[in-house]
Amino acid sequence: MISDVFIPAVSSLGAVALALGLIIHFVSKKFHVEEDPTVKLVNGILPGVNCGACGFPSCGQFAEVLVETRNSTMTCPVGGADLAAKLGEALGMTMAEPKPQLAVLLCQGNNDVARQTAEYLGIQDCWAATQAFAGPKQCRYSCIGLGSCIAWCDFGAMRLENGLIVIDKDLCTGCAACIPACPTGVLVMQDKKASRYFIACNSRDRGAATKKACDAGCTACQKCVKVCEDNAIVIEEFLARIVQDKCTACGKCIEVCPTKVNCIRLENDLKAVKQKQAS
Amino acid sequence: MQSVKLKVSYAPFVRTKDSIESVMYNVALALAPATVMSVYLFGMRALLVNLVCIASCIGFEWLMDTIRKKPASCLDGSAFVTGLLLALNVPSNLPLWMLVVGSFIAIAAAKHVFGGLGHNVFNPALVARVFLLVSFPAAMTSWPVPFAVDMETAASPLGILKTDGVEAAMKSLDLMSGFYGTMNGSMGETSSLALLVGAGWLFYKRYITVYIPFTLLGSVFLFTAIFHLIDPAAYAPPLFHMVTGGLLLGAFFMATDMVTSPLSVRGQIIFGLGCGLLTAVIRLWGGYPEGISFAILIMNGFVPLIDSWDLNDRKAIHHKKLQTT
Amino acid sequence: MNTFRTGGIHPPESKLTGNSPIEVMPLPSELAIPLSQHLGKPAKPVVKMNDEVKKGQLIGEADGFISANVHASTSGKIKAIKPHPHPGGQYAMTVFITPDGKDEWAEGLECAPADWKRLSKQEILRKIKDAGVVGMGGAGFPTNVKLSPPPDKKIDTLILNGAECEPFLTADHRLMVESPEDIVTGLEIMASLFDGPLKIAIGIESNKQDAIETLQRYALPKQIDVVSLKTKYPQGAEKQLINAITGRIVGEGELPFDKGCIVQNIGTAVAVCEAVCRNRPLIERVVTVSGMEITRKKNITVRIGTSFSDIIAFCGNMSDKTNQVISGGPMMGKAVFSLDVPVVKTTSGILFINNLALGKSMERTCIRCGRCVEVCPQGLAPWLLANVAQLRHFDEIQTLGLANCTECGSCTYVCPSRRELVHWIKYAKALVANRQKRKSA
Repeated sequence: MISDVFIPAVSSLGAVALALGLIIHFVSKKFHVEEDPTVKLVNGILPGVNCGACGFPSCGQFAEVLVETRNSTMTCPVGGADLAAKLGEALGMTMAEPKPQLAVLLCQGNNDVARQTAEYLGIQDCWAATQAFAGPKQCRYSCIGLGSCIAWCDFGAMRLENGLIVIDKDLCTGCAACIPACPTGVLVMQDKKASRYFIACNSRDRGAATKKACDAGCTACQKCVKVCEDNAIVIEEFLARIVQDKCTACGKCIEVCPTKVNCIRLENDLKAVKQKQAS
Repeated sequence: MQSVKLKVSYAPFVRTKDSIESVMYNVALALAPATVMSVYLFGMRALLVNLVCIASCIGFEWLMDTIRKKPASCLDGSAFVTGLLLALNVPSNLPLWMLVVGSFIAIAAAKHVFGGLGHNVFNPALVARVFLLVSFPAAMTSWPVPFAVDMETAASPLGILKTDGVEAAMKSLDLMSGFYGTMNGSMGETSSLALLVGAGWLFYKRYITVYIPFTLLGSVFLFTAIFHLIDPAAYAPPLFHMVTGGLLLGAFFMATDMVTSPLSVRGQIIFGLGCGLLTAVIRLWGGYPEGISFAILIMNGFVPLIDSWDLNDRKAIHHKKLQTT
Repeated sequence: MNTFRTGGIHPPESKLTGNSPIEVMPLPSELAIPLSQHLGKPAKPVVKMNDEVKKGQLIGEADGFISANVHASTSGKIKAIKPHPHPGGQYAMTVFITPDGKDEWAEGLECAPADWKRLSKQEILRKIKDAGVVGMGGAGFPTNVKLSPPPDKKIDTLILNGAECEPFLTADHRLMVESPEDIVTGLEIMASLFDGPLKIAIGIESNKQDAIETLQRYALPKQIDVVSLKTKYPQGAEKQLINAITGRIVGEGELPFDKGCIVQNIGTAVAVCEAVCRNRPLIERVVTVSGMEITRKKNITVRIGTSFSDIIAFCGNMSDKTNQVISGGPMMGKAVFSLDVPVVKTTSGILFINNLALGKSMERTCIRCGRCVEVCPQGLAPWLLANVAQLRHFDEIQTLGLANCTECGSCTYVCPSRRELVHWIKYAKALVANRQKRKSA
């Protein structure tokens, strides 16, 4: 019985397996593609999230182009200075350090301070909402508050709080993947700084209209412009803007801002930063 | 006027009254004649089988939703229809625990493993039926005789055809009684009349199209007719194949399942032809007397391929146009 | 009976106001006239705050080739020029006029002009442009631009769209019954702009038998066909109407004039007649006020710029159950977010409904029933477009015919899973456009 059934079955299957194995072996030898070990090395250093911040669709492609061109100005914004140093070491050259950036929301119109128009009951996505109307908040420049950017962020740096996006500065790598997710353009990239003042408002409406729509809106009252000693604040289209290069973070503008919820925001407390530096 | 709070959504602002529930319960309604026939033919035991299958399918659906942390979909009708179809696909004397096992296979292994309603590749009720058939072949092929009082069982006409040949099979069945349903078989598949009435309702509500059932039945008819003409002694006439087994139940209610059939007309015709030919081949030369379940399941597996052919054609059309403009 | 080839649906017609004669609504206490009531660039304001204007005076000048003039709907004083809610869902620069009650025509407009047959083609087009006539069916494409196709396109068919396939709307229906002479004259004027043999047809859905009979009386003696169309949505969509009447198919990326056709709306024909024969700019239009939740449903002639809340006051009141107010028809209209929005040149109806199928997560999984494919008049696979849009594969979605979707909403209407198919398609279109904008920037 065993010799009748078992032996022919095992031997025939074994022969088939052997033949296929030989074919695979031959094909893999014949069509072998030589891979540059440096590309593999560089690829290992890169974060491997394929976020697209460098301008290439994937980390692998970035590595290939970098190894081929040896272009020292190519940077990975996500990895920052550490990664640039590691890449330089691997390739035996000095890589340019990326200018670290950060996504910033120019809006403070949460559900408490921003007036609403109508309730939105369509697809819960900001772009979809703007196809139906100007958005559930009266201010058409505001953060729509449906959180589309959360899904676009590869690093989990966004979350929704009370109808407003909050960005975790530690998790944000500055890859800018979230920017196209925002239909109102209230989400922008800014250079990463230890501390900064900025106008957290995007409303280009006249002062009266802004005030009617939101308690945290910049009404272009000019008070901050007058008090600023560095001439770092300009007003464009009824909206103040702080020129980051000139701002010395003296904090005088915050004191004079008359809006109910200060439209000028200080990001990272200066005192805390100084303490950290001292210690 | 101040009390009015405006709500914004996207057009259109009028919608059809149809919903998943209405589609599913209308399919269940279309199965009602066959269900009534099953109780009429096989007695209260058939009613019990129906109830156990439906209840356990809904129960497992609820359980799977809970485990997968999904919104409860157990009452959307799909589990109800799966349970009903499973019940109509088994003999009425099947032990109840087997029904519960079958329901578990249908809902958990065939449906929720793939992602729940709309994502399953294979028809859940058929997967369960085939599972039961290969696991418990004896129980699944001992057919109660209609109106039997003492659980009398006998082979089905297709079974006789397989084991004893054409002459014996033709002698065992008069075609008209097969049409009305007084023959041995699964609970819901015996009465062609009841199934046709139900199919009429589905056509009237436009829940199914003519392409799948008619290509399926047509190809079985033609295929068996050709072989019957070649050798009437070895092959049964096509009408015998039409009324026996689960052919009509499969053609109108299982192959047409929206989730597991192709979307395009072209795809549906291919699907129907494939089901029909496989059924005929299995019936004529296969190891099992009945082939419709296997045929539909095999073709279910081809649906993604058929659909992607359609998709690539669409892409080709638009790609050409995008380039010319 | 003529109809288009693929797809289509038949939602409940709900034409509640088909037999109500058009009433004229009295002047409201304030008019808000948006400078953007058409496709293309908004008009440039040519008046300042506190200016006195006369009825029919130009207040916004067409800015560029695809743009249209905007006129004061009555005499009065300019109160403000500021952004204001627009029935299209966005905010638009709007001129506010406080009427002085005299309703005086601006100079040169009250005189009876010469017979239009003596005017040259250029003069006719000039008059249509000056009067700010735009397509009044919904898109608002400037009529003078549409009537001057590129010289290499030979136009052999002029179609007037009397299908009015949207449920509820009856404005065009009433116009056809009440002013057939103006419609036929407007059509003749437009036809006179084209050389060579021209087939002229008016397509009307068969549910408006009185309109068909009336227009036949006036149109047939002038060699204008009146074509009875099957009652099926979207019979009045440009591409479908051309297909129904001529059998031609306007393909992907093509415009009607590529197939030798031009389609105009009923309201537009009347506006052309007013502009050319009576020198009157487009300052009023017929609007259907309907829906289950308003007391007096009717067809009314209103001045452009009348706010929805004034119309509600004129038509009784809306019930507390109203949760959506729609500008346009229920299939392709927009739900307004404020009752301050004004009637614009493209507002064909205002509907007050209690939409019970509303909720944040009404969408359920696709059960692959294939109905959306069956009803799509453009032969697309809406379920697939929506799936790919949801996955944000915007390169792939363009190869599936995204640009070919006319957003008629038939797919969303029939979906038993309540999927927002057309909304997802619109979402993909917006993001594809945004991506192209970013790439070119």
